[in-house]
Amino acid sequence: MALIELLEVTKTYRKGEHVVTPLANVSLSVDAGEFFVLLGPSGSGKTTLLNLVAAIDRPDRGSIRVGGVELGTASSSKLSDWRAEHVGYVFQQANLVPVLTAYENVELPLFLFGLSAAERHKRVAIALEAVGLADRATHLPKQLSGGQEQRVAIARAIVADPEILVADEPTGNLDHESAESVLDLLSHLHRERKKTVVMVTHDPRAARYGTRRMVLDKGELKEEGTAR
Amino acid sequence: MKLATLVRKNLTRRPMRTALTVLGVASAMLLFVLVESLSAGLERALSGSEAARTLVVYRQNRYCPQTSFLPEWYATRIAKLPGVKSVLPVKVYLNNCRASLDLVAFQGAPAAEMLSTRGIEVIDGDAQRFVREKDSALVGRAFAARKDVEVGESFRFGNIVVKVAGIFASDEPVEEGVILTHLEFLQRAGPVNKLGTVTQFEVKIDDASRAEALSAEIDELFRTAEQPTDTRAKILFLEGATRDLREILGFARILGFACVLVVLVLVANTVLMSVQERVREFGVFRTLGYRASHVAELVVVESLALSLFGGALGLGLAWLVVHFARVSIGSEGVPVQFSTSPKLAVLGFAVAAACGIVAGLVPALRSARAEIVVSLRSA
Ligand SMILES: Nc1ncnc2c1ncn2[C@@H]1O[C@H](COP(=O)(O)OP(=O)(O)OP(=O)(O)O)[C@@H](O)[C@H]1O
Ligand SMILES: [Mg+2]
Repeated sequence: MALIELLEVTKTYRKGEHVVTPLANVSLSVDAGEFFVLLGPSGSGKTTLLNLVAAIDRPDRGSIRVGGVELGTASSSKLSDWRAEHVGYVFQQANLVPVLTAYENVELPLFLFGLSAAERHKRVAIALEAVGLADRATHLPKQLSGGQEQRVAIARAIVADPEILVADEPTGNLDHESAESVLDLLSHLHRERKKTVVMVTHDPRAARYGTRRMVLDKGELKEEGTAR
Repeated sequence: MKLATLVRKNLTRRPMRTALTVLGVASAMLLFVLVESLSAGLERALSGSEAARTLVVYRQNRYCPQTSFLPEWYATRIAKLPGVKSVLPVKVYLNNCRASLDLVAFQGAPAAEMLSTRGIEVIDGDAQRFVREKDSALVGRAFAARKDVEVGESFRFGNIVVKVAGIFASDEPVEEGVILTHLEFLQRAGPVNKLGTVTQFEVKIDDASRAEALSAEIDELFRTAEQPTDTRAKILFLEGATRDLREILGFARILGFACVLVVLVLVANTVLMSVQERVREFGVFRTLGYRASHVAELVVVESLALSLFGGALGLGLAWLVVHFARVSIGSEGVPVQFSTSPKLAVLGFAVAAACGIVAGLVPALRSARAEIVVSLRSA
């Protein structure tokens, strides 16, 4: 059954007279439990598509339904609540809050659920354990390596136990080894925790972790191999 | 509770900037509160309940006690007027007639009469000892606090030396800033020995509404005398004596309000800088599921905290200044104290809080309204 469904989605950006249409009538359906990889040249609209799935942006035309909820027309606060519950976003940079420890960064999403301190503590501990950084809980981001920071960011994305993880070039800033551990982690979350993952990447090695790959080019989605 | 932690950590992100802003806010609040405190003190000085039923008889066209000499026997003539309850001849000796930060004012009057007609309560020492000993004095409680005067010791000012027999409180706030002595003692003690003359008469009357008519009657008595008089209700006398001070304070209060504006601008500037540095971070918060209103709240609370810290520091400094600098502004012999009331502290905090909230509004709205995807693309 399709968890994520885009139907003839168009997204246009205007910069003065300059009009860019990264997505033109794009349709896509991702099933629950897939590890979907989105490839494509720079500027082709991959991030734009991911932002629509994560409900931090709205399409100009078309419909986008995730888990049966129409995201295009929901109110801003409803979308916020929806994001907190259903989607974890992993950026290319870790984007941690620099003045908060690893623990506090991971805890951030949990304040939106009115949980007790004990319950929050339990969940943060589990998330940090899952990314292998339980011993770094009290470290500030600047005291962590790039790969560790990114793993904290993943812990933050999964701490509220959303069913969808979106990742935008999560290994783009990492060396080979760190990239490997981050990808292993995502793969593990996909297999063991049954997360539906949508990942954007440039890296062919990273793409191999996916269960399905598609290429976005000139506003169109194509099966891998049919492009170029 | 976590919001407080987050706010604290955000404010210590740039400790220097936060410290400078807090200091700036504190300085501005210090000035604002001091001016308001002095205004309150002046209002208090003019608030005595007896002031409307007391007339002050002064030498015509004289404004300084040092130059007002009236024959003591005027008292008997004034006392005979119908409607007059009592007449107290008072000799005033001041260190400084003009506006002064360190006013020392002696008032000499017949001891027993003074104790019975003025609303004085001796709170420390012995009133009877004052009546008995001709070179003793009762010291107003505000003056005693300011000069660290204690019962039993001698107080010296210039060539005047008095034994402190007691410390008194009064219903009339201005009286608490003076030293009361025997009339004859002060007549002899001054640089000019003028027995038989006094500076002014304080006339208690039965009916406050007759104040103006009685004043005219008194002045009529001595219109052709060598020393003509100028009689006014005490409240008008006090207002007259403090007119300059009130005008200056009126202007100072405008400066005080300008200080509030400074607080507003300072806090707004700092908060604006702080949110500009965190555009992307707010985008991340929104992505995690925080609502626009959460972001706005965070910004306003940060702004409020900044302003309240500064306000608290400013109020603390003001309190120190008032309690340890111990100044009393004298205007033509009327002592005006800085007044510290809980009301003033509440006003200070309310002003700081209002500044914090108003200063935070624009940055808060900006941050809340920013598009998430645009914020995430910012540096
Ligand atoms: N907020 C925006 N305002 C204006 N133009 C935008 C905005 N976001 C994206 N664009 C434009 O839309 C196009 C697609 O951008 P997008 O970020 O989706 O590409 P991408 O495929 O993720 O590229 P990359 O691989 O470099 O990250 C680009 O031309 C970009 O300049
Ligand atoms: Mg991108």
